[in-house]
Amino acid sequence: MRNVRASQLIFELSKAGRRAAHLPHCDVPCRDVKELIGDEHRADAPPPLPEVAEPEIVRHFTNLSQLNMSVDTHFYPLGSCTMKHNPKRNERLASLPGIIDVHPCQPDATIQGLLQLLFELQVMLGEISGLPAVSLQPAAGAHGELAALMVAAACFRDRGERRTKVLAPDTAHGTNPASARMAGFDTVTVKSTPAGLVDLDDLRAKLDDQIGVFMITNPNTLGIFDGQVAKIAELVHARGGLIYLDGANMNAILGITRPGDFGADMMHYNPHKTFSGPHGGGGPGAGPICVTAALGEYLPVPVVRRDGDRYSLDFDRPRSIGRVRTFFGNVGVLVRAYCYLLTHGAEGLREASALALLNANYLLSRVRHILPVPQGDRCMHEFVASAAALKKERGVSAMDVAKRLLDYGFHSPTVYFPLTVPEAVMIEPTETESKETLDAFAEALFRITEEPADLLHEAPHTTPVSRPDEVQAARRTILKWTPC
Amino acid sequence: MGYTFHTSEDQRIMLEAVGANSLDDLIEQIPPEIRLQRPLDLPPARGELELTQHLENLARKNIGAGSAVCFLGGGSYDHFVPAVVDALASRGEFYTSYTPYQPEVSQGNLQVMFEYQTLICQLTGMDVSNASLYDGGTAAVEAVLLSMSVTKRSRKVVTVASVHPEYRQVIGTYFAHLDAELVTVPATAGVVSLEDLAAAVDDQTACVLLQQPNFFGCLEQVEAIAKIAHDRGALLVLAVDPVSLGLLKRPGDLGVDVVVAEGQSLGTPMSFGGPYLGIMACREPFLRRMPGRIAGQTVDRRGKRCWVLTLQTREQHIRREKATSNICTNQGLFALRAAIYLTAMGPQGLRETAELCLRKSRYALERVTGGERWKSAFGLPTFKEFVVRDRQCKVREALDEAVRAGILAGLPLGRWYPDLDDCLLVAVTEKRTKDEIDRWSDCLLGRRPTA
Repeated sequence: MRNVRASQLIFELSKAGRRAAHLPHCDVPCRDVKELIGDEHRADAPPPLPEVAEPEIVRHFTNLSQLNMSVDTHFYPLGSCTMKHNPKRNERLASLPGIIDVHPCQPDATIQGLLQLLFELQVMLGEISGLPAVSLQPAAGAHGELAALMVAAACFRDRGERRTKVLAPDTAHGTNPASARMAGFDTVTVKSTPAGLVDLDDLRAKLDDQIGVFMITNPNTLGIFDGQVAKIAELVHARGGLIYLDGANMNAILGITRPGDFGADMMHYNPHKTFSGPHGGGGPGAGPICVTAALGEYLPVPVVRRDGDRYSLDFDRPRSIGRVRTFFGNVGVLVRAYCYLLTHGAEGLREASALALLNANYLLSRVRHILPVPQGDRCMHEFVASAAALKKERGVSAMDVAKRLLDYGFHSPTVYFPLTVPEAVMIEPTETESKETLDAFAEALFRITEEPADLLHEAPHTTPVSRPDEVQAARRTILKWTPC
Repeated sequence: MGYTFHTSEDQRIMLEAVGANSLDDLIEQIPPEIRLQRPLDLPPARGELELTQHLENLARKNIGAGSAVCFLGGGSYDHFVPAVVDALASRGEFYTSYTPYQPEVSQGNLQVMFEYQTLICQLTGMDVSNASLYDGGTAAVEAVLLSMSVTKRSRKVVTVASVHPEYRQVIGTYFAHLDAELVTVPATAGVVSLEDLAAAVDDQTACVLLQQPNFFGCLEQVEAIAKIAHDRGALLVLAVDPVSLGLLKRPGDLGVDVVVAEGQSLGTPMSFGGPYLGIMACREPFLRRMPGRIAGQTVDRRGKRCWVLTLQTREQHIRREKATSNICTNQGLFALRAAIYLTAMGPQGLRETAELCLRKSRYALERVTGGERWKSAFGLPTFKEFVVRDRQCKVREALDEAVRAGILAGLPLGRWYPDLDDCLLVAVTEKRTKDEIDRWSDCLLGRRPTA
């Protein structure tokens, strides 16, 4: 139960002389630190951290946790983020001794079990994507995009080609153009048709010999599978370009179709989405990438290799783009993905995707009478409704609807994305929700559209705080606590 | 064996509502010619018990710091993690939530971000911190890119060979695509010489990237190097070990412009290299060029103090290709762990931790160099790590022997520094007891352990 008295910052609970941690006595000769570290390096006093006792710490952070909505507590249909159930077994197994206490630079002979796990994960991710060469190194989806674009650039350089452009549809995640720029490419936006597919005429017009990579999210951010994808790949390949699949929406197609089979040359997974790794309040994620066999030699180092029954980290890859992060990768997230895959098997993965489609389509069938869905009657794993009519007729915005849903005990869908749909409300229920929950959500949405506009403009009414003043936050920036 | 709900009756009703006859009808948007016509070739599904046994078997094939004595460092350390960190960070309301896009139902995470940012500023003495990046290496890259943007010098960065080699490799990877040059000044004496550094920094240099304590554990002359950088209009980016700041002067008090760090030392397990968190803090004027999430204080409609994600116009979901970085998420769960850790330590706990590291590390160094075989490679003051040179040039044999005795004795440096092929980097944290250190040194000296 939420504690309404708890509203202070940890710094405001601090009192000189309190402490939680008590370190052991020094069991080696206890020499004066002044002898060991010179005055020029040593601080006179320790940093001014708060001084609090353990019970206070426990109560403080526990109370804070209860101000959050989460998958464990609420339906969280945040489109594009795949907020599915986070299995408890995966948490336990990723924390086993022998996994969680392994140093990243241990000799290969001391980590054979871990290397076996990571090697098997590489193989499974390659099979699911149809792209057999795998790097587990990237730390997040956006980091995977960047690493793969560097792979593409290295390949073009080797071929002696100068390709400067990355193309992406106007429905793409913002990370796509941002990653392209960091990899040294210029970005070109390709239009979508009113039906939400890539506009092939616009694509043709923008294709030239400068094209490096076409980045596509498929199913796209409207929740539509772009069936032209093989044709798109043909057009891009004919100009010597490569296809990158943003794998944010892989949860829709596991075991149903494979990026490598529909023309993709490179892709990333978001294991924190597709393979149920928890989102951690905004990270950690991971962003393993898969590429064609031909591009495999450019992948970041190290990769895990197997020789007979021995596993090792392979750093000796002369054409590799190099390292993209410190150490091997976000192994804790990868272990959870491995557990998820072994729990499901081939049939279970395909079923998870099929049921994600069923839940999304069922919710679509219930919602489209309440909020129109401009791009059709069917969807993949998510759909984008529009509050444009509601806004025009009653002045109620997508934001108002999103905020009012919080009062009904539901996390809001993603709103105002993709940018191509006015007053967008992007809903992704995932497969780990019941029919009863979906019905209750649709019912809440219906009731909200019947409520007085003024009530909605002021929503939410029952949350720990009401709408924050974001303009003030950006204008008069207060980014840390300071003593008064 | 998944985590789904539907009874066959539910499924029937739902399909009917959708107007579909079967689940296969739902994939009609996917052209038949690109559908997979076979089951994926994956291992068979396992129930929870079988899965647990399988993972336990794999885990048993590894030797971790729980079963061996760990003297490995180089950016990841076997520090003690108080139980409050695990207990509180394991709350589902924290770890199964996402980026606080709806602040009204995310005040817990937002306040944690704000407290984390404050704690990092207190720790480093810097003006502003973001809510974390991926890890130390990528934080170093982002700091370098920030420097290039702030100084409008996009072609050259100077670093030192005593900076973590993997940080330098990561920067090299990014620079290969940005037409920029990374100049590495040697540190053959264990630290960089001021003359060498001054000669490398010119009026085209965006920043100097330095590490304190450096990769060899030695202490650089940060203040003097800040002056060299600033005299030429360059910034100083400093990578630090957060635990060392329990004892060492804070970067903000030494003229540093941007601080980055591997945050693993602050309550995060080693977990074979990740996930960790990248710490980044800077001076106020560079705030709007800083990458990553930032939480800010404001008020709600009733005037109540609260927190939101702020300055989002820097970020990719608004600015797309013009964003300060492509980064999307922070490492929220590990920023939470760092915040709990720093709170549990407090000023005295962090200082005592740092002092224990220092004293034990010095004891270990003196003990192992007391014999004939090993000598201090640089003979300079160090914090919790040091480099020793093997007069017999048999580092690998020594390490193998130690593993057999249940000791992870150190990192061989030859992998990164060919001329230090006979050297070992050793880390000694507050967890190592005198008995463990004695066993370690006996082993390296080829003595029978004193039973």
